[in-house]
Amino acid sequence: MSVQMVRLENVIKEFDDSIVVDNLSLDIRAGEFLTLLGPSGCGKTTTLRMIAGFEKPTTGKILLNGKQVDDMEPYKREVNTVFQSYSLFPHMTVFDNVAFGLKMKKVGKEEIKERVTKALKLVQLEEYGNRKPKQLSGGQQQRIAIARAIVNNPKVLLLDEPLGALDLKLRKQMQLELKHLQQTLNITFIYVTHDQEEALTMSDRIVVMNKGKIEQIGQPVEIYERPQTRFVADFIGQTNIIEGTVSEINGDLATMEFAGQTIQIPNANHVELNEEVFISVRPEKMKVSRTPFEGAINLKGTFKEKIYVGSVTKIVVTMPNGKNLTINESHDKIEDLTDTSDELFVSWKPIHSVVLKK
Amino acid sequence: MRSSFRKAYLLLSPSLFWLTLFLVIPVLFIAVISFTTNGDFGRIIYEFSTDAYSSAFSSLYAKVIWQSIWWALLATIVCLVIAYPFAYFIANAGKWKNILLLLVMVPFWTNLLIRLYAWIILLNNQGVVNNFLIKLGFIDEPLALMYSPGGVILGLVYGFLPFMILPIYSSIEQLDKTYLEASEDLGAGPVRTFLSITLPLTFPGILAGFIITFVPAISVFVVTDLFTGGKLLMVGNVIRDAFLVEMNWQLGAALSLLLMILVLLSLMIFMRFTSRKDRKLLI
Repeated sequence: MSVQMVRLENVIKEFDDSIVVDNLSLDIRAGEFLTLLGPSGCGKTTTLRMIAGFEKPTTGKILLNGKQVDDMEPYKREVNTVFQSYSLFPHMTVFDNVAFGLKMKKVGKEEIKERVTKALKLVQLEEYGNRKPKQLSGGQQQRIAIARAIVNNPKVLLLDEPLGALDLKLRKQMQLELKHLQQTLNITFIYVTHDQEEALTMSDRIVVMNKGKIEQIGQPVEIYERPQTRFVADFIGQTNIIEGTVSEINGDLATMEFAGQTIQIPNANHVELNEEVFISVRPEKMKVSRTPFEGAINLKGTFKEKIYVGSVTKIVVTMPNGKNLTINESHDKIEDLTDTSDELFVSWKPIHSVVLKK
Repeated sequence: MRSSFRKAYLLLSPSLFWLTLFLVIPVLFIAVISFTTNGDFGRIIYEFSTDAYSSAFSSLYAKVIWQSIWWALLATIVCLVIAYPFAYFIANAGKWKNILLLLVMVPFWTNLLIRLYAWIILLNNQGVVNNFLIKLGFIDEPLALMYSPGGVILGLVYGFLPFMILPIYSSIEQLDKTYLEASEDLGAGPVRTFLSITLPLTFPGILAGFIITFVPAISVFVVTDLFTGGKLLMVGNVIRDAFLVEMNWQLGAALSLLLMILVLLSLMIFMRFTSRKDRKLLI
């Protein structure tokens, strides 16, 4: 069992009668890259700010390396933050910005110089020490903000949507760089983002939040492949949510009625007979064809449209009850699927049906 | 390109006309007069002369000019010391902010002259403050709150304090609060954060406040008039007396020009240390 670095115990945060963080409990391990993921207003940034000390929890406890810190001022906590707007001090040079934290800790001049140089080297900007932040590009300012935080060897590094202001290409590059940096330094990273792809790319574990509560915690593959709730299935990637009634239970498998057809679902969540259930099936797990597949779920429907999106083509098939299913197919498979009156089968394996909690 | 310039000048012409008529021409007029000769009973004789400047730089007037600079400077510094914490407090007062700002502005709605008369009732030797202190036994003799350099500075501070508060307030208000969070995050306590981040980042506001307090403070004459009964002089009194009492327009004009140069110099210093954005604090 690895060491707990940050622990949140039943943390509640209220602002003017509205509950922003609602009874949140979470353990964050040492050396872990943990992402708080959710739409804006889900409480992820507030949670981060409580760990940093900028907000105090209304009730509940926050422990940092085993020590209770929820009343401790931010400048006494052994965490550092990379701000969304970078917040580099405009009146100081890059070197002085990075040295600021060390100066506050009364580190010797020689050591400051050594550590700042090392930190600037780590973010590949060692020649920019004499510049002012304004003279740097957004991406460079971002790196300085990271250098300014990690130079202090914090126990935990908090990152509040640090890549939000960068363009897509630079963002992708920085995602990998941050991930590698975290592995090299072996510091606990707590990363806040609303970008699910970013979260899947970088994290060891993802905490999906919605309306101040945790929806699901898990590794990226668990979050994507086995979403537990409708919210998670919908928020992470694209999916088809299919609603039906359980008509038969047979051990590990159950059968669900949908639009006059049957779908086999795994009975991992112990569904009950005649229960209304939702399942999520990812578009890339589905296939379309003119004939049904053996040993798979086959739903009959009519071709509606195909949308070319570059890497794949999305095919929309309308079910008899009017519900549209979206399937990702490779381009060569769909050459002949142009007639709108075509009857098609949408097929997937029963294990790819993920039963969601209501 | 040329036509757009012409268009710009055309659009500017009303204000250019206004400025020429009411600023440039009067200043030129003053400049010309300062180099003329003083005739009997204040008659202006259009003969070149630097007499006015020789007397302006004579020890008598130079002393008044230095005294004015010194008092205005002292008053400005006192204003700064009072205004900064006050502005800081207002900027962080949340929902009370607007009410407090209004209270700062209210005195502007009454003439300075009338407000200074009110202070005389408080400050003179038989005034409220002295009587109160004597009754309480803190002092035996009335304090010379008026008729003293201290009284002049008090009057200047009172008159121009809002000029200092407003630009400082606006620079503190505009300060991005995440800089303060970043500073705290990096281990700086409130005092260090104030000294290393807040103070340098609000320096343009301090500078702007300094200029717009110093400039009227150095030229005002009602404070010395009312608080010292004309016993102590600032350069404003001398200029007024030169024009209206001594009928020496040449001297008044020369002193006015010197004062104007002093003000322009301080503005240049301000420009030197601030960016285009910061200069908005002056307005």
